[in-house]
Amino acid sequence: MGENMSVEKARKRYIPMSETMFYILLSLKQERHGYAIMQHVKELTKGRIRLGAGTVYSSLGKLEGDGLIKSIREEDRRNIYLITPLGKQILHEETERIAELCFNYKEAL
Amino acid sequence: MSDQKTVLFPAFRYILPSDYENWLEQMAAEGWQIDHIGQWSSIVMSFRLCEPKKYRFVYDPQVSPRKEYIPTYEEFGWEYLGRMASAHIWRMEYEGERPQAFSDQEGLVERNRRNLTAVSISFFIFLATVLSIGVWLGFAVDSLSAGDRIQLVIAGVFFGVILLALGYFMMQMRKKLQK
Repeated sequence: MGENMSVEKARKRYIPMSETMFYILLSLKQERHGYAIMQHVKELTKGRIRLGAGTVYSSLGKLEGDGLIKSIREEDRRNIYLITPLGKQILHEETERIAELCFNYKEAL
Repeated sequence: MSDQKTVLFPAFRYILPSDYENWLEQMAAEGWQIDHIGQWSSIVMSFRLCEPKKYRFVYDPQVSPRKEYIPTYEEFGWEYLGRMASAHIWRMEYEGERPQAFSDQEGLVERNRRNLTAVSISFFIFLATVLSIGVWLGFAVDSLSAGDRIQLVIAGVFFGVILLALGYFMMQMRKKLQK
């Protein structure tokens, strides 16, 4: 699996995407460790989403295992992660899907 | 009143991780504290009477956690109490909003699935052990001494009882998770 996961397989697994996965991927457009991701998501959502330690830890493991993010270095026993090209593509496709939902909703009003 | 309390088979009384967490939280609120979890804590747990505290506990099954597992939880403010088998136990003192280690439904479902998998693996290991003892007794009964036969029967009964308990535990867990 890992870096070899195909785009097709990643689409099936991640689209539609949970809010947790969406915000973790979005946060990793910049290098961040687990705690920094939680802080960034809390700030982005004005405190609405407070990711828990278990959720962050297991989500990072899953995303890294599937090749959507990668660990680029270790600092103070913490891994620093960054989104991969595959992760960027999946995030982009999910954003397009959500934009289509919003567009159709507004059209229906 | 004694300032020590011993509870037998706690992990078998509170089958779901959330039940186990709530029970520990209730004990802490009544002043019964535990500062360390070890491999035997699923069989016996000793609490000491202290000042009542508001703690949130987390039961997190992780068979082989990555290196960053403990640092991640610690950075979020959790205190590590230890592990029993594959379950890691954490706690955090709080006031107001109850802290959550699993902040989404997906994470909770995944945690419960990992727990069921861990119990299922133990069940199949004990099943293989009991079957091996049975086959051994069946095929090699004539070549065994009376003493060896008795030892094997005792071992078979012992592992069989654990197997039945694990099977019951697994069924109850599945039922509760389906609910």
